[in-house]
Order: sequence, then structure tokens, then C-alpha cells
Amino acid sequence: MSTNVMGVFEFEDEFIGALRRLKESGFDELTAMSPIPLHEADRILGFGKSPVRRYTLAGTIIGAAMGFAMAVATALTFILPTAGRPIITIPPYLIISYEMTILFGVLFTLLGFHVVSGLPAWRDRIYLPASNVDRFTLVVECAEAEKSMLAENIILESGAEEVSRVEGDR
Amino acid sequence: MADYVEPTYAEVNQDVLRAMMETGPKYWATLGTSIAVAGICFFIPWFYQLEVGVGVAGMNRSAVWGTYLSNFIFWIGLSHSGTLLSAVLHITNSSWRKAIYRSAEAMTLFSLITAALFVMVHLGRVWFVHWTVPVPNQMGLWPNFRSPLMFDVMAITTYLTASSIFIYMGSVPDFAAVRDASTGLRRKLYTIFSFGWRGTAKEWHTLGWAYTFFAVLVIPLAVSVHSIVSWDFALSLVPGLHHTVFAPYFVTGAIFSGTAGIVTVMFLLRKYMNFERYIREIHLVNLGKLLVLLSLIWTYINIMEVFTTWFSGSSYELEALEWRLTGFYAPMFWEMVLFCAVVPLLILFKRIRTSWRSMLIISILINIGMISERFIIVATSQPRKFLPNAFGFYFPSAIEISITIGSFAVFTTLFLIFVKWVPAVSLYEVKETLKPLRRSR
Repeated sequence: MSTNVMGVFEFEDEFIGALRRLKESGFDELTAMSPIPLHEADRILGFGKSPVRRYTLAGTIIGAAMGFAMAVATALTFILPTAGRPIITIPPYLIISYEMTILFGVLFTLLGFHVVSGLPAWRDRIYLPASNVDRFTLVVECAEAEKSMLAENIILESGAEEVSRVEGDR
Repeated sequence: MADYVEPTYAEVNQDVLRAMMETGPKYWATLGTSIAVAGICFFIPWFYQLEVGVGVAGMNRSAVWGTYLSNFIFWIGLSHSGTLLSAVLHITNSSWRKAIYRSAEAMTLFSLITAALFVMVHLGRVWFVHWTVPVPNQMGLWPNFRSPLMFDVMAITTYLTASSIFIYMGSVPDFAAVRDASTGLRRKLYTIFSFGWRGTAKEWHTLGWAYTFFAVLVIPLAVSVHSIVSWDFALSLVPGLHHTVFAPYFVTGAIFSGTAGIVTVMFLLRKYMNFERYIREIHLVNLGKLLVLLSLIWTYINIMEVFTTWFSGSSYELEALEWRLTGFYAPMFWEMVLFCAVVPLLILFKRIRTSWRSMLIISILINIGMISERFIIVATSQPRKFLPNAFGFYFPSAIEISITIGSFAVFTTLFLIFVKWVPAVSLYEVKETLKPLRRSR
């Protein structure tokens, strides 16, 4: 049965130090919570380029194709000759395509955000409201009792103001 | 600014959430007045127009476009600086944006809603509005995508959707802060709004990427929206409207008007929601500099518009220009020049650009000038196209004037409701601008 060790920090640099030491000591099941985005934490946890970008690219391509296809299909559904001009008129249809590119790009980015971040997640999870105000919180999942002791020591030595064992979903 | 004391992280939460959650009698009185004015000046005249017909407006056979459409352009324009400025400053990493962008984006959203209302008012038979949506109507007909009006529908729908998502996603961490600070029904609501946000590194990382993509997508969108609005006019052959300069002219005017709008909103938020510690002189000075730059670009484009009209030698164009510069609406034209080209130059004086009151007055004058600009474009062109025997005249009716006044109350009402539902200053982004919480600093 795994245990969760939670450490609460007042200072960002100590929090980052603890995160780095835990990672170097072989702890991979880490959750870091902070009131602001910390790029250093991203680097330590190995977050590189986000897959969200693939969703955005897919959305823009689908949007561009659909926008143009919609304009062409509607023109062909009801042929409306205007002063001898072509039925499929490229310049205005590109404008429709342009708008749909952005619309679908935005919608797919939104979808990507939800899929990648795992939100919405309304179930109960380990959370300390202070970490959305002015505290930095670390949760480490430890499979063995010795590991829990080691994690507690690292967190305390790094300068945590509070360390505890908590139950619940990480 | 020597006495400025930087707030702590906890104070940022306290100040912003207090402004949002604590509501005094002054707020309720303002909201009540705003709703009453919106009802009396906007919705009742609109319902009267629906009952009696669009003939109650001053539009006539040669002037089929009037104040409703000029107001539509004005409100679309006002919407421009919010999301656009926020997005540009986000991707250029300008930290001074962080305290003001939330209210600027809200301004975008509510200006767009007000603009969309004007389309419905102008339509007359509003129950046919679904004919503009890209679905077949009851006769199996689709909209004609060759029409600039359909470009408009697509652009504005996209802009409204993208702006709503942009502001919402930026607010998710702050919704979580509201959730944590509240109880009862409010807590339940904000639990839903915040998607269960905890501020984990993964959530921040994903939001950062998504938000940057939103910003990158929104910038060309905002430029396209007002370009497309300009093509509603420029793609016609009407003298005074058929100009290639219209797209940059409209986009510049929109950003100009929107930036002035941000200054007005910033003043009010600072004064009435006690955000003095967050909305500071640096915001005023930076926006002031931007206003001067935009004013100069706007003036240059106006001079170019007059020059190219004169240089064209077209008698129709020259007649339209002469009517604009010396005709019935000439005082309005010169008032526009005064407020949008001359008055903003006062910002070059440090005493003016560092004074909240002076900047408030200048920002309001700029927007009065911009309303006049939109009105002049509509009212001096269509009624006087080509042959003198077809010349007409347009003057707004009492209903149109009332609906115009009421639209400001509609906007104010939406904004007042917004500031009690969403933190008007971004908590986490303001915290990012403060000194980092480091033991070793």
C-alpha cells in the first residue's frame, strides 16, 4: 500500500530544491502545487513541449479545410450565377476558411487543454487551499515505508515548514 | 510613487477577492441605475420598433444604414484593444499587462455583445437572424458566402467565441481561489467553474501552452474582424467608402478607441474597487504612450484618405469629400479631428500623462471622437452617392438616439455584473510580477 507524503513550503527556492532532490533520489510520483507557474518545476519534472500544440495544429487544419469546403458546398447546392463570375469564388471563400481556421484552432486548443491537464476533475484529491494563495506544496507517493521516511527527510532538510502523511488520490 | 509598498501574495488574494465578494450600497445603486437606463433607453425603444416597424428609425430610401450600424462599428472597435492588447502583451512578455488585462478582456467581451445587439436592432425583423447562421433555412437555402455580411457573421462569431474562451481560461486559477475562499452555493458554483484546479505543475504547464496558443490565434483574428467590418463598406462602390485604406483605417481606429476605453475602465476600477496598489502610474503612462502612437497613425491614415480622394480626380469622390469636410456634418468631422488627432498630443506632456483625471478626460474625448468618426462614415456617404437627384439626408430619430444612449448602459450593466463574478485583476499574474518568495533573496 502506497503512502503520500506532503510537504508545505513558504519559499519558492526551497520548494524547487526539494523537488530537485526528490527527483534525483528516484522519486517519480511527484505532484507540485504552487500559486504561480514555476518554469523550473516544469524542467525538473520533465515537462517539455506540451502535446496541446498538436491539438492546435489539427484544429487549424480541420478548420481551414472545413471552412473552404462549407463555402464551396453551399455554392454548389444552390447555383447562383452573378454577372458571369465563377460559382466557386476563391478570394471570399478564403476569408471564410481563415475564420474557421482560427475558430477550430481555438476550440481544439481548448480540447487539448482539457485532455492533457486531466481537467475537469471534480473528485476529491489531495489539496491544500493555501497552495493557491502563498504556499508551495509537494506530494510524493511512496510505495514502501523506508521510501516515505527518506522523502520526509529530504522535504524537511530542504526547509519545509510542515510535513505530513496524507490519505487520498494524488 | 515612493510610498508604494508591494503587496504580499496573501494580500493580493484578500484585496481582489474582497472587491469581488463584498458589495456595498453604492454598487447596488449603480447597477440598479444602469439596468433601469438600459431598460428605458435601449430595450423599450427596441421593442417599440419591433412592434411598429423599423420606420421609426431615421433611415430612409437613400440612407438605408444609420446610427445602428455606426454604433455597431463603434462597439466592435471598442472591443479591439482588450483581447488584442492582452494577447500581444502576453506573447511579448510585457509584465505591466498583468494587472489590467482581465478587465480589458471583459471589455472586449461586453463590447462585442453590445455590438451584436445592434445588428439585431438594425435587422428590424430580428426573428430572421438565424438566416445569417451557416445552416440551411426552411427553404433549404444556405447563406451566400460571397457576401461581406457573411464574412462579418463568421468573424464576429469566431471573435466572440475566442474572446470568451481566452478570458475564461485565464480566469480558471482565480476561480479556484474564489472557491477556496467561499462557502455554500458560491463554493459549489466556483468548484464547477474552476474545473477542480489545484495549481499543479502539470496544470500550469498545460495552461501556459494553451494560453499562448489562444493569444497567437486571437491576434490575427482581431485584425481580421475589423478589416472585415471595413469591407462591409469598402466592397461597395459608394463614393467615400470604396477605399483600399479602409481595413488598416478601421483596425487602427479600433485599437485606438479600445485603448482609450481601457484607460476609462482602469480609472473607474482603480477608484471604485480600490485597486490603487495594482493599477498604477506605469499602466497609465504606458497606455498613454500607446494612445499617442495610435493617434499619429490614425491621423496619417486620415490625411492619406483625403489625399487619395483628391488625387483620384473622381468627381463623385470629390463631391463626397467636400460634403464631409464642409457639409451639414462638417462640425462633427472637425470635432473628430480635434478629439482624435489634436487632444491626444497633450499626452506628450508628463504632467498630463501621469494625471489620472486628465487621462480619463482625454480617453473619453477620444471615444466621443471615434463615435463621431463611425457616424460620419455612415451618414455622409450612402445618402449622397453619384447622381444629385438621388441625394438624400440622414438624421437619427429619437428612438435611435435613445438606443445609442441605452447601449452604454447595457455595456455598464454587463461589466458591473462581471466584476462581482470574476476577479477583475488576475491574482496569479499579479503575483508573478511581485518579488519572488525566496529565502535566498
